[in-house]
Amino acid sequence: MSTATAPAPAPAEKKKDKPHQSDRAVAENKLGMKLVAPALIVMLFVTAFPMLQALWLSLSNYALTAPDDRSFVGAQNYVTALSDPLFWRTMLVTVGIMVVTVFFELVIGFVFAIVMHRVVFARGIIRTSILIPYGIITVVSGFAWQFAFSGTNGFVNYWLPFVEDNFNWFGEQFPALFAICVSEIWKTTPFMSLLLLAGLAQVSEDMVEAAKVDGATWWQRLWKVILPNMRAAIMVAILFRALDAFRIFDNIFVMTAGAVNTESVSFLTYRQVIEQFQIGMGSALSVLLFLSVLVIAFLIVKLFRVDLAAARQEG
Amino acid sequence: MRGPGRRIGVAATLVLAASTLSACSSSDKPTLNWYINPDGQDTLNALAERCSTDEYDIAIQLLPTGATDQRTQLARRLAANDSTTDLMSLDPVFVPEFANAGWLLELPEEVASAVVDDDVLAGPTDTVTWDDKIYAAPQWANTQVLWYRTSLAEAAGIDDALQEGTATWEQVIDAAAQNDATVGVQADRYEAYMVWINALIQGAGGDIVSDTEAGVDAQVDIDSEAGRAAAAVIQQLADSGAAQSDLSVSREGTSLGAMFGPGSPGEFMTNWTFVYKNYEPSDTNTVVDAEQFEDLSWARYPRTVADEESKPPVGGINIGVGAYTENPEFALEAAQCVTDEDAQRDLAVNEGLMPARASVYDDPALTEAYDASLLELFRESVEEGGPRPKSAFYNQISGAVQSVWHSPFDVNQDTPAESAQFLEDVLQGRALL
Amino acid sequence: MGNSPLRKAGIAVGALLILTWCLLPVAWIISLSFKSQESITNGNPGFLPGDGTFAGWDNYVAAWDNEQFRRAIFNSIGISLIATVLSVIIATLAAYAIARLEFKGKKLVLTTALAIAMFPVVSLVGPLFDMWRAIGLYDTWAGLVIPYMSFTLPLAIWTLSAFFREIPWEMEQAAQVDGATSWQAFRKVIVPLAAPGVFTAAILTFFFAWNDFVFGISLTSTEAARPIPASLSFFVGADPFNRPASLLAAGAVIATIPIIVIVLVFQRKIVAGLTSGAVKG
Repeated sequence: MSTATAPAPAPAEKKKDKPHQSDRAVAENKLGMKLVAPALIVMLFVTAFPMLQALWLSLSNYALTAPDDRSFVGAQNYVTALSDPLFWRTMLVTVGIMVVTVFFELVIGFVFAIVMHRVVFARGIIRTSILIPYGIITVVSGFAWQFAFSGTNGFVNYWLPFVEDNFNWFGEQFPALFAICVSEIWKTTPFMSLLLLAGLAQVSEDMVEAAKVDGATWWQRLWKVILPNMRAAIMVAILFRALDAFRIFDNIFVMTAGAVNTESVSFLTYRQVIEQFQIGMGSALSVLLFLSVLVIAFLIVKLFRVDLAAARQEG
Repeated sequence: MRGPGRRIGVAATLVLAASTLSACSSSDKPTLNWYINPDGQDTLNALAERCSTDEYDIAIQLLPTGATDQRTQLARRLAANDSTTDLMSLDPVFVPEFANAGWLLELPEEVASAVVDDDVLAGPTDTVTWDDKIYAAPQWANTQVLWYRTSLAEAAGIDDALQEGTATWEQVIDAAAQNDATVGVQADRYEAYMVWINALIQGAGGDIVSDTEAGVDAQVDIDSEAGRAAAAVIQQLADSGAAQSDLSVSREGTSLGAMFGPGSPGEFMTNWTFVYKNYEPSDTNTVVDAEQFEDLSWARYPRTVADEESKPPVGGINIGVGAYTENPEFALEAAQCVTDEDAQRDLAVNEGLMPARASVYDDPALTEAYDASLLELFRESVEEGGPRPKSAFYNQISGAVQSVWHSPFDVNQDTPAESAQFLEDVLQGRALL
Repeated sequence: MGNSPLRKAGIAVGALLILTWCLLPVAWIISLSFKSQESITNGNPGFLPGDGTFAGWDNYVAAWDNEQFRRAIFNSIGISLIATVLSVIIATLAAYAIARLEFKGKKLVLTTALAIAMFPVVSLVGPLFDMWRAIGLYDTWAGLVIPYMSFTLPLAIWTLSAFFREIPWEMEQAAQVDGATSWQAFRKVIVPLAAPGVFTAAILTFFFAWNDFVFGISLTSTEAARPIPASLSFFVGADPFNRPASLLAAGAVIATIPIIVIVLVFQRKIVAGLTSGAVKG
């Protein structure tokens, strides 16, 4: 959950000022740069710098348990990773989780947003409770659902019809992925619904009313008026949530630890570095993971024609 | 503060916050950190206190539950040349890897001869030896036996075979299936599943790998008759009505409840020595009543094939001394103290963790706490058990085997061949694990 | 038509659905935390504790008595607060400049922040682990605070610049015209206007830092710095062979209390911050 806000476009209040004297503009330019410098330096220090380090490490065969055997291997780690079925299997699982969770979050989140938009009573209670899944630690959500799906101590099997009481959700790939997705969707749908609610508030009531007067059904109003006007909100929400879902790690770690083919690319990378101490291969996977995020971001932006300017506060 | 290296490159306030936290006592008396796994915490705490002297204190630090997690935590500290890791409780399978990476202090001759003298059982002695040198002191030895209910074995008519130690997995599984009972094993994707697979293969006279001194070039033997015999057992259980519903995520703890489940005839369960203490009724333990406990019985680990003695799994804990400790003299002294006869006796009596020394099995405190036949069975199992591969790359070997053999529902006669190929690829760095 | 009973009923059902969705798992984990540990070992299915398996506060007492757990709470509070304060200070400077000044590279800052917010944190684990152990930051508070900046700082910059954009900065000049010194104008006019935004950004940043798991498990190895989520995942009960589900649930509830309190008290601010102009225009 590392995408929280996509704040507003800049009102160009500076334009109200009198035309600057040029030295004042220079001074302002200087001050601005000074003020943003710490932020820029810190951000680059904590990401770009380690990423370059990863790029360098990924070119060696380097395991911490055999530090004397370190050697330069060029692109060998990338070749091994990209030709390994395990890498592609985790990629498929990750993309699958991403598509499924984002889809359901969008649909359920939209329903929630409409309810919250219309509801008149208990508004405060609903808005407060919707923040609870958002605030809860992902690890806790993972545990809660893992135990809920447990055959020995949970309740899901007893509540669901057509499911045997001792059914083992974590014994096979699809049931286990289902449980993981439930935890993920539960926790992040509220955030999605708040984003959509903000978008819904932008849709002009007059337009909806006008459509109604023209005899449009509820369904037509939804598809012809409301959704097109929320387009920007929906696209930004999809972009942020998709990239966040692609990084899925916590729920998998807690609920299956990657067993029964539920491993994500993030989890695979983590295991190479932290459990196998294969710093070289782990770094290569880190770089590949980073590139995958870039590709997915690019695809979503192109495919859905997301207006990045809106997301980048430039209006 | 932990050392000058810790301060580099950070805002002073942050370091202050971090280092005041880790600052220990103000006196000059050093504190030795002993990283323990969570079995037998109460006794180990008492032990740490007993073995603290006027010259140093021993402080207990708790590691996570799983063997793999424990290894990860320790290895990360040692890879960072941590000088505060003085003593550590090590699963035997990780001694070669740690020794090979230079993370363990080699025990000097006089200490080595004291901690692995003739009294120490052969299995544990073997696990602390790497490259003909001694790298740790055996503290306790673990082994698995078959736990079951007498009433169930009698109903199934395999009581005699069990008592003679000739019962096979096939017989046990059939007996359970025909009596609506189950068979409890450990087949989640974790170390204890490797323990099961290894015991099955060794029980059929085979090995997962051999020539392990060759490191990544070790000989992979899993694709063999023995490997297929082991796969057949797992396949039989997975396909049988005797499989527990959570077979693919079963761990040491998950099958305990099936033994005396209400309205059920019980189970046959291969599990470690702690099971006895787990069920034994006492003021604080009311899991089962005295009558049920009376029904509990035990036998040697089942055979994989009828004409070959079983090779019960062996485990336990060895105490290693960190290579970067600032107080090697004290740490070596403490390592001897926490593995002495008294320590081994207390662990056995209080916690159900069996001694690594033969003489302790005859200690009056043990003979009073345990049934004589059970003690004899434990000692015999540790002595005749089959160790897991001793390799500096054990973690990769274990991970590769688990990866192919999990889920147990997918194991078939092709599994050993597939597993051999994958294991070779992993060791040679050709495949991701 | 707009207020037909049918529609009202639909909204009511929807509202009920939302409440169930949000609160059921929370109720479940609370219920689980009251099941006795022995009953968990032998299987205790069902939503509520079965007959005779109600443990009272035992699990809470046991969780709280766990030294590692208490240390983890302390670590989490400390590390998250430091990361929050540092991020908010640095972000306030940047957001002020972005909202108020014309300068070259404004776009660059925002684009960088956006890109870094989408960064896969696991990618950083390998290189950071390798660097931290070399320079002695491994398993320290600072060793977590620094990588936390990779996601708290972009978040704080985005939230704050959205808020600062809404502030009528002209009022500062107006106050100065009315005879206030520039310091007075800043303190009396701008600070009260900006404070709520800064505060909201701080809450959101704190949530994120509190939630971190990847760095927490990768860059620590003892309770010297291990935060709550990592500690929960390594939670060890009296019985080493069983995951102590009910004890863990009690620990999870304790770890969630601070979040619930913050949500209850600052609900309005958080919603505003989360969606602050998320999609305006």
